[in-house]
Amino acid sequence: MTEQHAVRPQGAPPKKQSQLEDVLPLSPLQQGLFFHALYDDAGQDVYTAQLVFDLDGPLDAAALRAAAATLLRRHANLRSGFRQRKEGTPVQVVHRQVRLPWTETDLSALPEAERAAEAAAIADRERATPFDMAKPPLLRFVLIKLGDDRHRMVFTNHHILLDGWSTPILQTELFALYLTRGDDTGMPRVTPYKNYLAWVARQDRAAAEDAWRHALDGVDEPTFIAPAPSSSTGEPGRVRLVLDEDLTAALNARARAHGVTLNTVLQLAWGTLLGRLTGRTDVVFGAAVSGRPPELPGVEQMIGLFINTLPVRVRARPADTVAQALARLQGEQADLMVHHHLGLTDIQRLTGVGTLFDTMTVLENYPFDPDAAAADLGGLTIRPHDGYDATHYPLALAAVPGKGLSLRLDHRTDVYSADDAERLVGRLVRVLEHIAYHPDLPLARVDVLDDAERALVLDTWQGPVTGRAGRPPATITERFAAHVAATPDAVAIRADGASITYAELDARADRLAHFLAARGVGPETRVATLLDRSADVVVATLAIVKAGGVYAPIHLSYPPDRVEWAVNEVKAPVLLVDPTTAAQVEGLNTAADVIVLDGDVEAPADAPSGPPPVTVHPDQVAYVLFTSGSTGLPKGVMVRHRDVVDLADDAAMRNGAHDRVLMHSPHAFDASTYEIWMPLLHGGTLVVAPPGRLDAAGLERVVTAEDVTGLFITTTLFNLVAEERPQAFAHLKEVLTGGEAGSVAAMRKVLAACPDTGVGNVYGPTECTTYTTILGMRAPLADGETQPVLGSPIDDMRVYLLDENLRAVPPGVTGEAYIAGAGMGRGYLDRPVLTAERFVADPFGKPGDRMYRTGDLLRWRHDGTLEYVDRADFQVKIRGFRIELGEIEAALADHPAVANAAVIVREDSPGVKRLAAYVVPAADYDAAALRRHLAGRLPEYMVPAAFVRLDTLPTGPTGKLDRRALPAPDFEEAALGRAPATAEEELLCGLFAQVLGLERVGADVSFFDLGGDSITALKLVTQARQHGVEFTPRDVFTRQTVEGLTRLGDVPASAGFEVLLPIRAAGTRPPLFFVHPAGGLAWPYFQFQRHLGPDQPIYGLQARAFTQDELPGSVAEMAADYLALIRTVQPHGPYHLAGWSLGGLVAYEMATRLQADGEEVALLAMIDSYNSLDLDSEKREVLPELLLGIGVDATMLDPDGNPDMEQIMGVLAERGDALATLDENDLVNVYRNYENGVRQAEEYRPGPFRGDVVFFTALQGRTPDTPTARANWGGLVDGGIEDYPLDVEHHHLMEPAAVAEMGAVLAARLDKLRSARR
Amino acid sequence: MTNPFEDPEGTYSVLVNDEGQHSLWPSFAEVPAGWTVAKAEDTRAACVEYIEANWTDMRPRSLVRAMGD
Repeated sequence: MTEQHAVRPQGAPPKKQSQLEDVLPLSPLQQGLFFHALYDDAGQDVYTAQLVFDLDGPLDAAALRAAAATLLRRHANLRSGFRQRKEGTPVQVVHRQVRLPWTETDLSALPEAERAAEAAAIADRERATPFDMAKPPLLRFVLIKLGDDRHRMVFTNHHILLDGWSTPILQTELFALYLTRGDDTGMPRVTPYKNYLAWVARQDRAAAEDAWRHALDGVDEPTFIAPAPSSSTGEPGRVRLVLDEDLTAALNARARAHGVTLNTVLQLAWGTLLGRLTGRTDVVFGAAVSGRPPELPGVEQMIGLFINTLPVRVRARPADTVAQALARLQGEQADLMVHHHLGLTDIQRLTGVGTLFDTMTVLENYPFDPDAAAADLGGLTIRPHDGYDATHYPLALAAVPGKGLSLRLDHRTDVYSADDAERLVGRLVRVLEHIAYHPDLPLARVDVLDDAERALVLDTWQGPVTGRAGRPPATITERFAAHVAATPDAVAIRADGASITYAELDARADRLAHFLAARGVGPETRVATLLDRSADVVVATLAIVKAGGVYAPIHLSYPPDRVEWAVNEVKAPVLLVDPTTAAQVEGLNTAADVIVLDGDVEAPADAPSGPPPVTVHPDQVAYVLFTSGSTGLPKGVMVRHRDVVDLADDAAMRNGAHDRVLMHSPHAFDASTYEIWMPLLHGGTLVVAPPGRLDAAGLERVVTAEDVTGLFITTTLFNLVAEERPQAFAHLKEVLTGGEAGSVAAMRKVLAACPDTGVGNVYGPTECTTYTTILGMRAPLADGETQPVLGSPIDDMRVYLLDENLRAVPPGVTGEAYIAGAGMGRGYLDRPVLTAERFVADPFGKPGDRMYRTGDLLRWRHDGTLEYVDRADFQVKIRGFRIELGEIEAALADHPAVANAAVIVREDSPGVKRLAAYVVPAADYDAAALRRHLAGRLPEYMVPAAFVRLDTLPTGPTGKLDRRALPAPDFEEAALGRAPATAEEELLCGLFAQVLGLERVGADVSFFDLGGDSITALKLVTQARQHGVEFTPRDVFTRQTVEGLTRLGDVPASAGFEVLLPIRAAGTRPPLFFVHPAGGLAWPYFQFQRHLGPDQPIYGLQARAFTQDELPGSVAEMAADYLALIRTVQPHGPYHLAGWSLGGLVAYEMATRLQADGEEVALLAMIDSYNSLDLDSEKREVLPELLLGIGVDATMLDPDGNPDMEQIMGVLAERGDALATLDENDLVNVYRNYENGVRQAEEYRPGPFRGDVVFFTALQGRTPDTPTARANWGGLVDGGIEDYPLDVEHHHLMEPAAVAEMGAVLAARLDKLRSARR
Repeated sequence: MTNPFEDPEGTYSVLVNDEGQHSLWPSFAEVPAGWTVAKAEDTRAACVEYIEANWTDMRPRSLVRAMGD
């Protein structure tokens, strides 16, 4: 049934002529596809495209076949094969003749049902059969006979040949040729693809680069929606929707009305949707463009690959109307029109971000009229059956114009389920509707949630509605009074081993309340307190609210002027102190009466029994707590009576654990709400902890002795107790902890040590009465929870997660938390502006409700629980690293010479973001000392580039730091380390600076931190020698700094050849161990220092061959040897291992051995390492290869390719290679190692590894036999293999650019591990 | 992300509810039920100034009535 026809161009001369018609370069997009084809796993190629159409009516199969043959003859580029030249450049080789891959299959004899299934199976098989890139043509025709006058054509091709725009042209031409039985006389001449390649070569590349750089200016991070960019995993899922004609017409009308294309409308819609899915307003995605230059004659009739995928940046500010956003987008796109020829890889390189996006759009407005194509085919009609055009993006949107715009969303099924994809299409339609029908409304009004989702996030997942909202709210005083009446003899307070009953407490509080009332304390009068922990605190607190007043506790740690400020701020007529705090307020300049509580205070003589006769309203404020915020003066948070009662009534507080509560927190912290009012409003007992700082043992003692059932403890203290004495909580029913992101490890420890105790993770701002969410962690942790998840809001509370448009974000998307409902206080005392900014109108609640804006970033999980993500403010990104400026500021403030500090990100020259620190000194300081101080505490990327001394930090009207008023620092002036102290240091600092191309270099900064590598090290040595200073490049490797080099002293001969080579021993993180490649030296890894940050210790492992004669017998032997060594610096995991080439195999073996020993291997990185390959070690000429690896062509030195040592040393010295610093013996050792290593790599048979592997693949110089990481390791590794391709050759992986790329990946990975551990 | 209440370039209005409570409000967003526009679209600074000058008693109106002031 199969026939294959040789196709020979008409008039082709006799056979003698070469088979090759032409050898051409690849277009930029072809290059991309070619690399993918080489690099992706064999098997199904995601760049296989397929066109399937049915032919109804009488068909002349021979004529169609002839037409196909002519098609191949006419279009030379369809006869291209793709190869790499020896040096790596890809070329397309146009064959003069190719066989037409034409198959005819007759299924007409099969029953109807089987026929359809078999036809589908044929198309599937065609798609699954890969093309050999080197063997043209990269296309196949299959003609299936389904019945009389019923046929189906399955046309399959590699995307590198032709794009989607070409298929209708191809189809039209095919059937035009069908009518002539393959005779193309009279058909227009084909514009050859090489004309297009020539056009590409003529374009102004520099201008295009400028335009793209400008267009993407300020884009400093990619827009990713998938969790991790990874390569494709087979066929994408597909969701289709045809918009109704009304909406389609409205969209077209919208485009016309604003003078934009339908494509722009779609791109705005996609950009808006992406913004909602990523929580951003500046997003980038890919868009396919036809790529056909209009100035190329005949381009519209060409069949070939022109299409390009280019970044589209959409900045959709919430306030922009559709009209404004469309106009801007169209303008930006128009500016880029003439620069569409630049390849995506090149554009991405310009931004410095790398891969910019993982979603794309295409408007398939092919210049094709299906009716015209079917003109008159002798009764034959063509019906499109199916098409397949693969994509490797997680999401790709295709739109085909028509009466109803048809949308197709291709999605990677490992990222999105079919349901997810359907939902996304729904969201997109809502955006499109907004654009179509509401052009003058802000984009912020677009709601991408559907009704069901909105109900989930705004309703279903919110706190239980108790119905108490319908009942009149209560006051603290009436609740307390009820308990006094019901159980007057119950114990209210336990302190110092004594008990105070409810009746006694009530009587004492009444007396003090009358005393206060006599001093002018009435409804809403603030009373300041400065009280240490005691029963009197409780009496005073109760007395103040009984008088109708508001207690305003002042932090005990405030200095006197701050106390004075606070008393005056709350306009308190009375300041209550106790005998211990009285001294703190001596000489205080305030109008308030300072009353010392020492025993019972006398009530006025005429005072009646009972409390003062004031009515307390539930909406009255009960207390004011000062919260410091991040800057400026503290603000007083006002919390009402009803808020406190609501908390006490919450189901989470009524579980029996919070009736006998330990009071140990300072009065001025919001934990005091819990500690005082939960027991007293429950009729329970408040246990006052003994004075002084409570340690874990003390805590355990008081909890046990006093039979405490519940307490709250801050995250920091909780973690401390968990570490020291986790059983300290064992007597409790529940311990609540919160304030910061909690540690799951600490919680597990406590839960294990305290089997009868619950651990409640609490979250909530003071503004919303202490707790907004409470989640018992025992069950989630038992279920394998790995995060300190927050759970759901408590009774009658609501948490909205909103984006910049004030729209609720979908589950899984990070949003800022706004809290509404019960417990939301009144606002900030006497700060109407601050209150109006933070307690804002609630669009989701009852009419007139308010919501509190927290500044916390949270996310809904799909199970309806909340997860804390981050703070919204003072968070910046530099080099892709997320940075909390507050963390740097806090670390700076730790330095004794710093009184006050601010850190900001400056972008004084476009695209260059740098951290600048502003320091108000407390004493004289040296910027280098501050830098060292920070470097010891923070990762390298968090150390500011400049330090500016200021007398005071500028503040704005609200008392906050005015960041814009900070002066621009002189970064050049910024000292890079300590200034040289001696003449020799000064000389060397100068030489460092000279060879590194820097203004100046400090004496204590590592050469490799500043960008030095082995070549510059050699330059340094040469320069130094000229100035009379002698040291070797090896000294530079081992000493690294000017300081180190000037203190050389006696260096042992083995220095630099240590088997365990400390590259950087300092740092608090678990070290990263790099294992040497076959050559045996770990020196190239020195370069990783600058990329991994100063807190990351790095060690190299080097072959023993440099220090002993015997060579190791196997990879396993090396692994065992090195493991013993690394355990001397790190006895236990988590271990971080990496290695290049053979080193990767050794690292792998070490990792599996560590796992067998029960150790954790947190990072295993292999740099282009493959197991079980036949490396031809017996016959291999090792020396020439080794030399080639360092760029020396051995045949240039010696015709046989085996130069002698002298020749080699000469070349190395000339080239300034690091290896030239080796003496002849050591070089021989490198050679011995290499030879031995190649054999060992061949013989090594790895076992299984549990966990993920980070892999770096060298893309250049790969042969058809080179496996991919997944193919080679996938069967052994049970986790993921994250494969990062690098555009270099295997032997060049340690060149600075490649090291920089790998360094960034490793740094990000190590950072993630670190934060996960914290 | 820039918070919609913190955009120095943005335009805002000032809303007031029945309790006399004030809220800064970005003008791109719909006015929620139960709130009226006390100060129409203006710069952030002008809105802040308006709040400072006009929201002088931060107690809700119903409480002021109940407390008999």
